[in-house]
Amino acid sequence: MATSVVWNEADDIIRLSDIVKRFGGAQALSGASLAVRRGTVHGLVGQNGAGKSTLIKLLAGLHAADEGVIEIDGTAYASLSPQQVEHLGIHFIHQDRLLVPTFTVGEALFLGREPRIPGTPFLDRKRMRQTSAEILDRYFGLRLPHSALIGELTAAEKQIVQITRALLDNPKILVFDEPTAALVRREAELLFTLIRRLRDEGITILYISHYLSEIVDLCDTVTVLRNGRDVATLPVKKTSAKEIGALMVNRDIAELYPKPKVLPGRPFLELDGLGLANRYADVSLTLHRGEVLGLTGLVGSGAKELLRTLFGLETATAGTVAIEGETVFSASPAAATAKRLALVPEDRRRDGVALDLTVSENTTLASLDRFGRAGLLDKGAEKRQARELIERLQIKTDSADALVRTLSGGNQQKVAIAKWLSRQSEIYLLDEPSVGVDIAAKVEIYTLIGELAARGAAVIVLSSDIDELLGITDRVLVFFRGRITREFISAETSPDQVLAELTGANETLRHVG
Amino acid sequence: MSVDAAHLSTALSAPVRHETGATKTATGAFGRRLAVLALRQGSMAVFIGVLVYFSIAAPYFFTVGNIGNVLGQSAIAGVLAIGLTIVIIAGGSNVVTGGIDLSLAANMGLSAAVYASLLQAGQGDAVAIIGALGTGLVIGAINAAAITLAGIVPLLATLAVMNVVAGLELVLTQNTVVPASSDFLSAVSASGPFGIPVLAYVLLGFAALVAALVQYTPLGLRLYAVGEFPEAARAAGLRVKLFISGAFLASGLCGGFAGILSVSYLSGSTTGAGDMLLPVVVTALLGTVFSRRLVPTIGGTLLATLFVSSLINGFQLLNISSTLVSGVQGLLILLVVSATTLLQRKGNQ
Repeated sequence: MATSVVWNEADDIIRLSDIVKRFGGAQALSGASLAVRRGTVHGLVGQNGAGKSTLIKLLAGLHAADEGVIEIDGTAYASLSPQQVEHLGIHFIHQDRLLVPTFTVGEALFLGREPRIPGTPFLDRKRMRQTSAEILDRYFGLRLPHSALIGELTAAEKQIVQITRALLDNPKILVFDEPTAALVRREAELLFTLIRRLRDEGITILYISHYLSEIVDLCDTVTVLRNGRDVATLPVKKTSAKEIGALMVNRDIAELYPKPKVLPGRPFLELDGLGLANRYADVSLTLHRGEVLGLTGLVGSGAKELLRTLFGLETATAGTVAIEGETVFSASPAAATAKRLALVPEDRRRDGVALDLTVSENTTLASLDRFGRAGLLDKGAEKRQARELIERLQIKTDSADALVRTLSGGNQQKVAIAKWLSRQSEIYLLDEPSVGVDIAAKVEIYTLIGELAARGAAVIVLSSDIDELLGITDRVLVFFRGRITREFISAETSPDQVLAELTGANETLRHVG
Repeated sequence: MSVDAAHLSTALSAPVRHETGATKTATGAFGRRLAVLALRQGSMAVFIGVLVYFSIAAPYFFTVGNIGNVLGQSAIAGVLAIGLTIVIIAGGSNVVTGGIDLSLAANMGLSAAVYASLLQAGQGDAVAIIGALGTGLVIGAINAAAITLAGIVPLLATLAVMNVVAGLELVLTQNTVVPASSDFLSAVSASGPFGIPVLAYVLLGFAALVAALVQYTPLGLRLYAVGEFPEAARAAGLRVKLFISGAFLASGLCGGFAGILSVSYLSGSTTGAGDMLLPVVVTALLGTVFSRRLVPTIGGTLLATLFVSSLINGFQLLNISSTLVSGVQGLLILLVVSATTLLQRKGNQ
């Protein structure tokens, strides 16, 4: 709670005060407040996990707060139901556009409040068609064929249809949740023009975005969330994207990163002009033995797709990949693993480990041919290998025969890495390796990454936790809209510099054409 | 209904120009449209081609009498397929997790047995009709409860119910034919105007009624929304489970109705109702290729009913073994489901 601007309270259309929300043991919100002035565009920003989406779900009536008060238009509510929210005139423009793909535009607009031919129970399709065509053309200049189905529209067109749906209900408050994630720049500009116009006509806008440049362009006021509470509410005119970025970054846990000094060795993995249509383009980089390279970028920036390409889950449409000078073509994960590549995926419970197999079985899963004897599995050798890795990685488990399901998140992640150690992989692609594990386990995973590098492996870590990334890597490459826009030397860089680059705060926005 | 553009004019006083190729739809949509068109036109062409071939190979095929016959014979399957169509609309067309009612054929068998047994027991047609429809409705209610309350996927829930219902039919009829006759039954199985069986008129009338409800009312539109994209339906304030339950009740009712028609057509209740399942599933799935959006429609299902029945009828006229019919139907399911699944996947990209 550090509200630096005090409004006249009567002007606030939304007031969330000291909201606390727990999920099991985890505290998503610990005393967050948000006050939105009537008739303004109010930005809401924060890193992943800062509590933005929890706060929005509370406002939407999808969660109930454990503590705190929600006031809408001067009336206090302990909790809201989705029906109440709609009745209060609050509408949400979702990231995933909730429109039926096989419906025509008219059908999608009027679903749930269909006009009938007077005096009959029948749909007035003509009126649906004419009214929707008229509204879309008159207010958005959008002309679509009568028969166009939602599934055939562009992301921007779908968004306009969704906004129109909300406008038909005469809303007081519109909440936009990452609305530009799927839009190209020109479409986003159009959306901003529209949002400003809606504000000028008296509709209050709550705007959530990762793109700080958008916040600065568009919003009147911005609230920054960090670790489940609001750290500042500022008038945008008196701040900058850099200042907002600095407020978002967490400085409390900087001493968590044990990074052994490893001198990078020979070039190991070299990418030259690598590209994947509509995802990323022109990626060139050299990864050395003993090096830990960080990648970061917003969702859709192309960083995750690059990891997927290297592991053979996507097929590059341009450029080359070379390992120790030899050009390789990984068209499948099987080919990639044969080239000593290892991927530790983000969703480890789904993709990283087999939860219902034992620790021993999981560690040898990727290297079973090493444990074969006359076509049968040599259980003894398998177990010896597992014990060795449990020892080496200090995996906390009752025995090698315990099910991986019974392990903690951090130890499951170690098993996911052990699988590749057993395979003798040497290029490790780690996708959000520490997500969802506790602090102690994070430190152990960081130590393990350092050890991999010290033994001569090359590691690429993709993470959206910038503090972590700077703490454990040698270099960090920032992806923005499909390109590497900046390279930072980790030891010489502060988190807000990376964040500014990541969110396009000091960029004229670029995107892959 | 007061939704119109009037209040928008205060919200937006001047248009915001949408510059990015206003009439251009998403890339790839064109290719998909072309494929859908090919599938629809292709199906129609095959349909007409088969009819022409039968007419030439078996001249009797294309006579008023035979066409009436085909319609009459397809009445029972048609009513069941219409019930199944409603369930597929509300449950979604995903073959594994979507809407399906495998208990429909068994439902018809039990409802018919109830009807015939009630007549045997000395009850009148009115009581028997209530008994048959009630049986169908109860079966629909059990399906609905298993799916919306217990959360079992329709494929599994209705498979289980199908077996229970088939077992009950055996218990009730001791696996024998239960003859039944009454003035009402004779009237339904008689020949109507233009020498076309009354059953044919019943099918057409029933299809028209359900089509009006499903294709032309808000209720129908909402049913599609629930099946295609439940989250969107929920966001529009619709109670998804209520619609799904309603669809299974409607389909159960169709089973009961088909039971009555079958007692009339066969002058009693016979065993082997389960054989009806495959043609009914073929019919409902085949119906989707006759729609522009590749979704199940009542009109499409009616066309598919006629196609499948003509196929069976034509095979009989040409003295082709009826055992082949099952094989052809199985092939049709594979073809239709692969084609629509591939196209839908393409559409979602």
